[in-house]
Amino acid sequence: MTALMTAPADRKPPAAPSAPAPERGPRRRSSGVGTTSPLGLSWALIVPSIAIVAVVSIFPIAYAINLSLHETRFLQIGDFVGLDNFAQIFGTAEGLGQVGRSLVYVVGSLAIAVPLSLALANLLNQEVRFRRVFRVIILLPWVVSQTVAALLWKWLVNPDYGPLGLGDIGGVRLDFLADPNLAMLLLIVVNVWISYPIATILCLASLQTIPEELREAAEVDGAGPFRRFMQVTLPLMKPTLFVVVIQLTLLYFNMVTLIYTLTGGGPLDGTNLLSLAAFKQSFEFFNLGLGAAYSVVLFAFNVLFGAAYLRLLRSERNV
Amino acid sequence: MSEPIVTIAAVSTVDSRAASPRRRRRRGTNPLIYVALVAASLFAIIPLLWGLSTSFKSESVTLSDSGWIPAQFTLENYRLVLFESQIPVYLGNTLLVAGLTVISTILVAIFGAYAAARFRFRGRATSMFLILMTSMIPGIAILVPLYFLAVSLGLYDTYGVMVIIYTAWQIPTVIWMLKGFFESIPDSIEEAGRVDGASHFRVMVQLIFPLALPGIAAAGVISFIYVWNDFLIASTMISSDEKRLVAVGLYNYLSQYGIVWGQLTAAVVVTVIPIILVFILMERRIVAGLSAGATKG
Repeated sequence: MTALMTAPADRKPPAAPSAPAPERGPRRRSSGVGTTSPLGLSWALIVPSIAIVAVVSIFPIAYAINLSLHETRFLQIGDFVGLDNFAQIFGTAEGLGQVGRSLVYVVGSLAIAVPLSLALANLLNQEVRFRRVFRVIILLPWVVSQTVAALLWKWLVNPDYGPLGLGDIGGVRLDFLADPNLAMLLLIVVNVWISYPIATILCLASLQTIPEELREAAEVDGAGPFRRFMQVTLPLMKPTLFVVVIQLTLLYFNMVTLIYTLTGGGPLDGTNLLSLAAFKQSFEFFNLGLGAAYSVVLFAFNVLFGAAYLRLLRSERNV
Repeated sequence: MSEPIVTIAAVSTVDSRAASPRRRRRRGTNPLIYVALVAASLFAIIPLLWGLSTSFKSESVTLSDSGWIPAQFTLENYRLVLFESQIPVYLGNTLLVAGLTVISTILVAIFGAYAAARFRFRGRATSMFLILMTSMIPGIAILVPLYFLAVSLGLYDTYGVMVIIYTAWQIPTVIWMLKGFFESIPDSIEEAGRVDGASHFRVMVQLIFPLALPGIAAAGVISFIYVWNDFLIASTMISSDEKRLVAVGLYNYLSQYGIVWGQLTAAVVVTVIPIILVFILMERRIVAGLSAGATKG
C-alpha cells in the first residue's frame, strides 16, 4: 500500500506562493457552486470510493485484529488466546531482535537517504546545462521495482563476478549476502537507492517554492552559499523535511518485498525485520494468528506515527 | 511557513519559472556541481547499466567477461526471454491488470475527488478523512484478511481480485491528486455552465473532466507503475503460472532455474524498458503528481 501521507483530510491542499489563482480561496466560499451543492449527487459521487476502501482496507484491519487474538491452524481459526501471539513477539529474544533490526534498518536508511535527497534536490535546482537530463537520470530509480532492484544489486555485488563485489580481501572472502552485518548494510544501500528519488522530488518541489529573492537578499547581505543554505533555505524547508522523514519511516518500516527478494531475512536472521516476519509467518509458515499479530503491531506503529505527524503538522501551522 | 504539500498546479507553474530571464542567467556555475551531478547520475544508473551489459553477454562468458562493454555481443538472451520463456505471458498479464486498475481507479476516484473539491455537504470532511486514512494501513498488515476474503469469496487466483485490491489501495492517492487538480480549475467555468442550464453532472463530465486531463494522465501513470512494480499482492493472491504478474515471474525465474544471469538481466531489461520510456516521456507530469503527496511503496 502506498505510504501516502497527506495533510488532514478536512483541509484543502495549501496553495503554494506561486499558485496561479490567488483569488481562489475566498472566492470559492461565496461562489454559486458551493451554495447550491446538491446533497444527493455529492453522496452518490463519493460513496463508491468509501465503499471500496471500507471493504478492502477497513474491514480487513478489523479482521486482522480479531485474528491476532486467536489461535490458528492453517485456515482454521481456533480458541481465543488473548495476547499470547503478541507475547511471542515482545516476549522472546527472536521477536525483540526483529524489533531491533527494524530500528537499525529504518534509522540507518533515513540517516543516508534524507541528507542525500536534500543535497540532490539542491543540485537539481541549480541552473546547469542538461538540467532535465540530469533530473531524469537521477530520479530514474523511482521506476525500478523492489524486486528488480534486489536482482540487479545482487548481481552487482556478486563476490566473484560483480564489479562492486568485494571478493577476497586480505585472504578473507567477503560476500555481502553471507555476513549478517554486510547484508544489513547492503539492504540499507539498496533501500536508499530505490527510495531517494521520491524524497528528492518532494524536496525539489519545496525548494522551488522558495522565492529566489530571499536568497538573493541574503547574498547581497554578504552571506556565502553555505550560510545562505543554512539560514535561508533549510529553515524554510523544515516542514517538507518533516514530511519526508515521516513518509520514508513508514515506507521503510512496512517494507517487505525488497528484503524478501534481496536477502530473504538471512543470513542467520540478520535481516529478519518485523515486516518480513509478518509476511513469512503468514505466507511461508502459515501461522496466521502470529502473522496477524505482527501485522497489528505494524499497523499500531503506523497509526501512532501518523497521529504524531498530524499533530506536529498542525502545531507547525499555528506557529 | 512554506507548505509541505504542494498542489499539482503549483508545481507545474513553478516549473515554468525557469524560463524567466532572471533565472536563466548562469552565474558562473561551480564545476564541482557538475562533478556531483555526474557522480549522482552514476549512482542512479550503475546497477541498470551493469544489468544491461550482462544481458548482451552469452551464457558461456557471463562469468568470465567482467567488462562493462561485452567483448562478444549477443542477442541470444533476449531471444530466449522473448520466445522461449513465460516472461511475455507475465508482461501481458501485468499490462491487463495494471490497465484495468488504472481505469477502475480513475472511474471511481474522479467523482469522489470532484465532490470533495467542489461541493460542500455534511459528512464531506469525514468521508475524506476516512478515505485518506486508509492509506495509512500498511498493505502487509491486511494481507492475511484479504487472503481469507479472496478465498471465501471464490476470488482467489483471479485477475479480478488483484484489480479490486490495487484499485482500493490507489484510490486515496488518486483522489488526493485529482482533488488538488480540480481545485486549481477556476469556479467560473462551472458557473458559466450552470447559467447555460446544464446540470451539475453535465457540467462536471463535459466541462471540468476534459480540463483535468493532464492531472488524470499523471495519476493514471503513477497507478500503472505501482501495479507494474508490485510483488506483495501478485505473489499472495495468484497461484497459477498463467496468471502471474511480472515482478513475481522475475523472482521465480531466479529461484526456479538457478541463476542464469544473462537471461535474468535480459528479462529485467525487457520489463523495465517500457516503464523507463514512460518515465522519460512524462517525467514532468509524474514529478508534479508525486509532489502532490503520494509515494510508491
